[in-house]
Parts: sequence; structure tokens; C-alpha cells
Amino acid sequence: MNDWLAFFQEVLDYGPALLAGLGNTLLLAVTITLTGLLAGIGVFYLTISQHAITRRLTDAYVSFFIGTPLIVLLFLMYYGLPPLGLRLSPLTVAIIGFTLNVAAYNARYLRIAYNGIDQGELEAARAQGFTHLEVFRLVTLPQALRLAAVPALTNQAILNLKDSSVVFLIQYTEFFAQVQELAASNFQYFKAYLLAGLVYLLLVSLIVLLARRLERTVLRPLL
Amino acid sequence: MNFWQILAQLATGVGYTLVVTLACIATGLVTGLALAILTRLRPPGLGVFLAVYSYVFRGVPVLVLLFMVFFGLPGIGLEVPPLLAMMLSLGLIAGAYLAEVFRAGFNAIDPNELLAAEAMGLRRREILVAIELPQMLRFAVPGMLNEFTTILKYSPFAYTVGIPDVMKQAMTLAATSLRGLEIYLAVGVIYFLVYKLLLTLMRAVERRFAVPGISRL
Amino acid sequence: MALLTVRNLVKDFEGRRVLDGIDLDLEEGQVKVVMGPSGCGKSTLLRCLNRLIEPTAGQIRFEGEDILRPGTDVRALRQRIGFVFQNFALYRHLTALENIKLGLRKLRHFSEAQATERARAELRRMELETHGDKYPAQLSGGQKQRVAIARALAMDPKVLFFDEPTSALDPRMSREVITLINRLFLDNVTMLCVTHDVTVARYISDSVLFLDQGRVRAEGDADHLLDQHQDPHISAFFGRGARGV
Repeated sequence: MNDWLAFFQEVLDYGPALLAGLGNTLLLAVTITLTGLLAGIGVFYLTISQHAITRRLTDAYVSFFIGTPLIVLLFLMYYGLPPLGLRLSPLTVAIIGFTLNVAAYNARYLRIAYNGIDQGELEAARAQGFTHLEVFRLVTLPQALRLAAVPALTNQAILNLKDSSVVFLIQYTEFFAQVQELAASNFQYFKAYLLAGLVYLLLVSLIVLLARRLERTVLRPLL
Repeated sequence: MNFWQILAQLATGVGYTLVVTLACIATGLVTGLALAILTRLRPPGLGVFLAVYSYVFRGVPVLVLLFMVFFGLPGIGLEVPPLLAMMLSLGLIAGAYLAEVFRAGFNAIDPNELLAAEAMGLRRREILVAIELPQMLRFAVPGMLNEFTTILKYSPFAYTVGIPDVMKQAMTLAATSLRGLEIYLAVGVIYFLVYKLLLTLMRAVERRFAVPGISRL
Repeated sequence: MALLTVRNLVKDFEGRRVLDGIDLDLEEGQVKVVMGPSGCGKSTLLRCLNRLIEPTAGQIRFEGEDILRPGTDVRALRQRIGFVFQNFALYRHLTALENIKLGLRKLRHFSEAQATERARAELRRMELETHGDKYPAQLSGGQKQRVAIARALAMDPKVLFFDEPTSALDPRMSREVITLINRLFLDNVTMLCVTHDVTVARYISDSVLFLDQGRVRAEGDADHLLDQHQDPHISAFFGRGARGV
């Protein structure tokens, strides 16, 4: 019992640093969820392009980023670029790396949803004289988003939050990095990681609750 | 050192990457199947346990759980070797996700077929083995492939607990050669090739057991 | 002794009385058809008899044995009753032959060779010998139902239960299935058949039961019940159906 009291005392002492780390985690997670969604929409647009070469290239992009670990991309930018004279901050590296990666996944979700859209509707829109981009913006995207939106994109947000913990490996002082500091200071590794796990669980639960509320109050009436 | 020599050096870690990936896939399959079957059979009292398992292991980052197991457990007197630590973190997390995949596969089975099997006088266990599992696994192929890919992509975390996998080789090389860009590019290519290999293997298995009228979920 | 004796069978489902005191006797070699409007409890009756559904009250004797007594070996009971469903319910990951072999292997403990031989014989009886290696998705509705009948017959059941065996089929396929059921009728196979199909009732039955609102409203031979019954409710029901044939 005394152990735990001492540990909580330490946690309180580290409170400001932990909170700052948590802030950085949330900043990164929210940013990449948004950029990943926007970039994903862009990539999705390219995957249904009328030009075979564009389609081929985008498919290769999606396939490559789904098939390779994100951490490799992060290390490539963080450790591989400085010798060439390009030094990016950890946050920049993280945002670029995650965006490229998450965009590939989101494009795939949207693509799967797109396959579920009634092709007749798209033809009708084209027959009415809308341009390719207009059909995309007015018909394809809203439908694909509606089909993919809540479950897939909520999952993506949760994954982003959890995966953001890897960026401590490129020296970004987010929450997990601060937890390690705490652990190293008192050698209470198990307790520190347990605390970290609980905090992530709590945040994931919040996202789930938020997504439910969003679906009920914003999306359902809208669609 | 040219690009090919870099690739050759990195390739020495591929064996470890494969071992880690396969060990975690095996752990995930066993726990995922066990959880999905238990959920299906609904033995009383286990419902809460299953829900909590799924919630916890899908809510905690792989790296956090890995560190808890590898660096945290020794503090309370439990030394865990690196590969086992990967299995107890990445493997168990994959198990929670695979359980969902299998659950969806079970739900895709036509209940009329199960009723027919029951009417025939088959035991619950016989129905599970002869009818539900073979159908469920076929439905679950895409979900399994997704999860296996995820496991492969998290496998580089093995370097943080001292396993000399592809990632570890790359870090050693990069530290001594200042050619990080090429090295990590090569690492990306290696993982992509392993991913393609995994894809090809799964497709072959899928084709081998293909049945007309049972499509991917 | 009757093969099956049912007395005062009652089934309540979510506060509604689906079966309200059914009496039924089925002799060995006899074929009975159960008819009645949708929701009259026909399918529930069939499912109570092999305890896929637990009756609320009443008595069921199968080969003299009280099968509602606690401790009844329900699986052994079900193995003595062949059940053919409206929607065929073939195991779709197994070929036609494997569908038939499954029960023989698992329940009768036949060897692989014995099971194959028996399954082929049943397929021949259903005129499907060339379709053994096809999967359900590759068979027509009529062929699927014939495989389902073969699957049931392979177990040497004391009685075959049919639950609307032709209602998921188009007229041509349903004729194909009825022809084969008729052959079983001529072979003296004991059958209890729930159906909407007046052809089945007229040509393949020793006796017809008319069920309405969970009660047996009338029982008799087909001609009498279908053509000459005094109850306006029953003649109205068959009047509609009979013109369709």
C-alpha cells in the first residue's frame, strides 16, 4: 500500500510534465486524424480517377503504405534526412509520416464504401452533365463517407491515438515519453506503464462516447 | 557499401522479423479463436470476462503493453524473455481483434444450417467443429489478412526489447554509415516484400479451400 | 401401436398460445399432411415433436416412449426423425455427397467407404447420382431439396418430417420434388408433412389435418377435407388453394 502512495506522490510531482505530454499526444492525434482524413479523401479521389496511370500509381501508394510499418517511415525522415541537410522537427516528421500512412488506410475504407454505392446514381449524375469532380463532390464522396464514416473513421481515430505512442522513439515528448521519464526516475516501471495503459483506455473510451454522440446528434439528422 | 550490400546486411534480420511475426500470429489465432468460440458458446459467467478482455486489449497501445510486460513485470518478480514479451503484448492484442473478426464470421453462418444439424441429432461440439468452424474461417479470410498485416507492421517494436530483427540491423547500419535514407528505404522495401509474400500465401490458402457460394465477408 | 402419439400439446410463446391442445396419431407407414393458414402453429408443432422447441404442456410418445420425460435422450430421438426444411438448410461448405455423409460418419459411425457407398445410394434414389461432388450453390432449388431428403433418409429414420418442402420452389422444381416424395409414399415411408401445397395433400397423404389458431379443426382423408367439408372456413381456405392447382 505504501508503495502505491509513494508512487502516486511521484505521479503528482510529475503531474505538469505528464499533462504537457498528454497535451502533445492529443495535439498529434487530433492533427493526424484530420489531415489523414483530408489526405485520404484526396487519395480516394485519385484511386477512382479516369486515367489508368493515376489509378495504378495511387493503388501502388496505398498498397505500399498499408504493407510497410509506419515506424520505418518515421525513422527514414527523422534519421535519414539530416545527413542530406534536411532536419525536420519530431512533430513535423510525425505529422507527415502519420498523414501519409493514415491517408492510405482511409482511402481504402472509402474505396470499399464506394464499391457499395449504386453505380446507377453515379451514371445518372454524369448523364445530367456534371463534371467528374462535381460528381465526386456531390454524389460519390457524401455517400462513401456516409457508408464508411462512423465505424471505420472512429476506429481510425482510436488507432491514431494509440499509435501516436510510437513517436517517443523519434524524441517527440508526448505522454508515453513522459511516463518513461517518470518510470526511470523511481524505477517503478510496472506501475508507470500500468498508469499509461489506463490513461490510454480512458481516452479511447472518450473517443467512443464522442463518436456515438456525434453520430446521434450531427450525422444522423444530416444524412 | 552499395544498396545491395545494405539489403544483404538487413536481410540477416529478416529471420527474426519472420519469427516474431509468426509467433505473434500464432498467439493471436489461438487467443482469438478461443475467445470467439467461448463467446459463441456463451458459458455463463464468462461474458464479462470476454468483454473486459476485448476492451482492455483493444484500448492499450502495443508499445505500452510491450513495455509493461518486458520492463514492468521484472519489477514484480517476473522476467519475460523478449519473444514471449512480444507474444504477450502484440500477440494478445491481435487476439482481441481476431476474436472480433471470427465473431463476425460466426454471425455470417446461416442459422438454418445449424438448426438442421441440431435436428439431425449432432452434439453442440460436433456442430461447431463440422459446420461452424469451417464456414467461419472461410468468411474470416480478409479480416485475418488485415490483422496479420498489422502484426507484421508492429513487429519492428521487437528491436526495443533487443531482438535483432530487420529494424535493429537498420539502426546499427544507419548509426555507422550516415546513409539512413537508403537504409530505411531498403527496410521499407523488405517489409513490403514480406507483406506481399504473406498476401500470396493467404491467397493460396484461400484458393485451396475455396467453396462455390461462400465468399469473403 | 402408433409410432407417434400426441395428446393435448400446448405451446405458449411470448404470452401467445401457439398450440392449444393438439391431439395427433401417426401409425407406422402412414402419411399425414398438416395444413392451415400461416401462423396456425404448423411449423411449431413439427419442431415440438423432435424438441427443437420445448412444449409448454402435453404428452408426446414416440415408439411408446414418453419423450418429454426429464432425462430423455433428445439427440437419440432426433436421430430417429428425419427433418426436411423449407429452405433446404444444406451445409454450404460441403458437397452434396459430404452433406449426406456427415451424419453417417458422426452419428452412425460408418467408415469412410461405407458412408460414401450409402450416400451414393441415397443420391441415386433421388436421381442425383451425377451431382454428388457439387456444392449447394451449384445446385438448383429442387436439387437442393432432393439432397436434403437424401440426407435425411440416409439416417434410416423411423419417420420423415417435412416443413413446407416445396414453398421455396418454383412450380417446375416443386413438381420434381413432389414426384420423389410420392415415390417414398408408395414405398410406405412414414411421413408427417406440413405444407401449403394442395397437390401434396391430395395425392401424397393418407390423412389430412387442418390446423387453425393452434387447434385441430378437422381431420380426414384428403378428398373429404378438400372438396366436401361443411365448415365454411375450411372450404374457403381450400377453395382458394384448389383453384390454383
